[in-house]
Amino acid sequence: MTSSLPGVNLSNLASSSVPSLQEFVLQGSVVDSACDALLHRLRALCDNVDRAPETFQDHEMVYLLRTSGPGNPVVLRARHARDQHNMPWNYSYFCFDLNAPSFFRQLRYLGQSDISDKSRLVTVRSYLDCSTSEQLPQFLTDIGFRLDHEFVAKGHMFRKGKMKVTITKIFKILTPGNLEALEPLSISQLVELSIIAPSGTDGIGEDMRAFAEQLRPLVSMEKI
Amino acid sequence: MGVTCVCQWPVTESRTVQQTVEMLTRRIEVLGAVKTGNFCVDCETYQSSVPTINSTKLVHLMHNSEQPLTCFSITDTGAFLVADNHLEGIMQKLKGFYTPRKSARVESKGQRFELGDFLVKVGIVSIGPHTKGILVEVEYTPCIIVSDCWNLLSEFMQSFMGNQLPSMPTTLLAKQDLPVTPVDTMMQYLEHFNNFKKGPGGR
Repeated sequence: MTSSLPGVNLSNLASSSVPSLQEFVLQGSVVDSACDALLHRLRALCDNVDRAPETFQDHEMVYLLRTSGPGNPVVLRARHARDQHNMPWNYSYFCFDLNAPSFFRQLRYLGQSDISDKSRLVTVRSYLDCSTSEQLPQFLTDIGFRLDHEFVAKGHMFRKGKMKVTITKIFKILTPGNLEALEPLSISQLVELSIIAPSGTDGIGEDMRAFAEQLRPLVSMEKI
Repeated sequence: MGVTCVCQWPVTESRTVQQTVEMLTRRIEVLGAVKTGNFCVDCETYQSSVPTINSTKLVHLMHNSEQPLTCFSITDTGAFLVADNHLEGIMQKLKGFYTPRKSARVESKGQRFELGDFLVKVGIVSIGPHTKGILVEVEYTPCIIVSDCWNLLSEFMQSFMGNQLPSMPTTLLAKQDLPVTPVDTMMQYLEHFNNFKKGPGGR
């Protein structure tokens, strides 16, 4: 069957080909006082040297779906940007309203760390990311998830090829629902190097380790 | 995307589903409508499989060829989510909690017509390999407020539906002065799909 929309295969609307992706991660922390030095180092090492680093300010809600038995709960992370109001999507292919304020949500599944291969240089976990409409919290609650905790993450993001580097300050939300009354969780910031790649991709751990070495002694990146 | 009305078209004893679709197609083409390809709306249902979730919860994942990169998820209590197609992958990660209902895939598939500002879609509804009936979708594309265009939409529908003209769908009744979205169309399809599942088999 052909469709009026170019490139749309009607027999495959329910895509069975959701990619099997993994996240390769190294984590570390840096005290607030050393953060500027790390930002300068990253600005020199990463892409787009001539531009100021990209900033972000996200609100993340972590939801659990528990079994009544001993099994592990499923964890889903609902995140939305507090500082981005525009949708980057093509209106004709997505059905969202480009003029609507801040209703883009991100739903993320992160699996347990894969500990089957202890020789791995970095943490590897399964990863699935999904862009959704603003009803995400209500929807998750309706299908049985319960809010476990929430926080606000503010920070900087850099790119080095396919690697993403983030420096994130985590804030506690003092009053549920009020994202203006925040308190820093610690005097440190979380540093993460991550690459999303199809399952079974080789050589990523070595590249990430080599990059992490260049951040010493400001920050020591570890497999968690 | 404008105001849309989805309604069931009866299949009488004297005709098969295919013959009825051909008859409807002729009526629409006589008005001057032009075929503009095919369309498909599908629905797969997931059912909760753990006792922690009260009773049996149903989550319907739906697609519409008008928004081919979008996945619509609607629960049996009316909560909904519009997402990209990776939502199916997330549902697969919940396989210990939600499992696809066997042979519960429903789809409405057929031809799409354009006549000026109107879109008409005549779809044959099937559940698995079984044909169940016909759904007609009519859309008035320039307007997203039901109360502003229902009379016009109604008049247009009457021109080829005659005495089979539907009343306003319950989904639209509840929000006559609010902008409609593609979810409202999917809600209408879901209601009809559920009726087809409950009702007797088609021919």
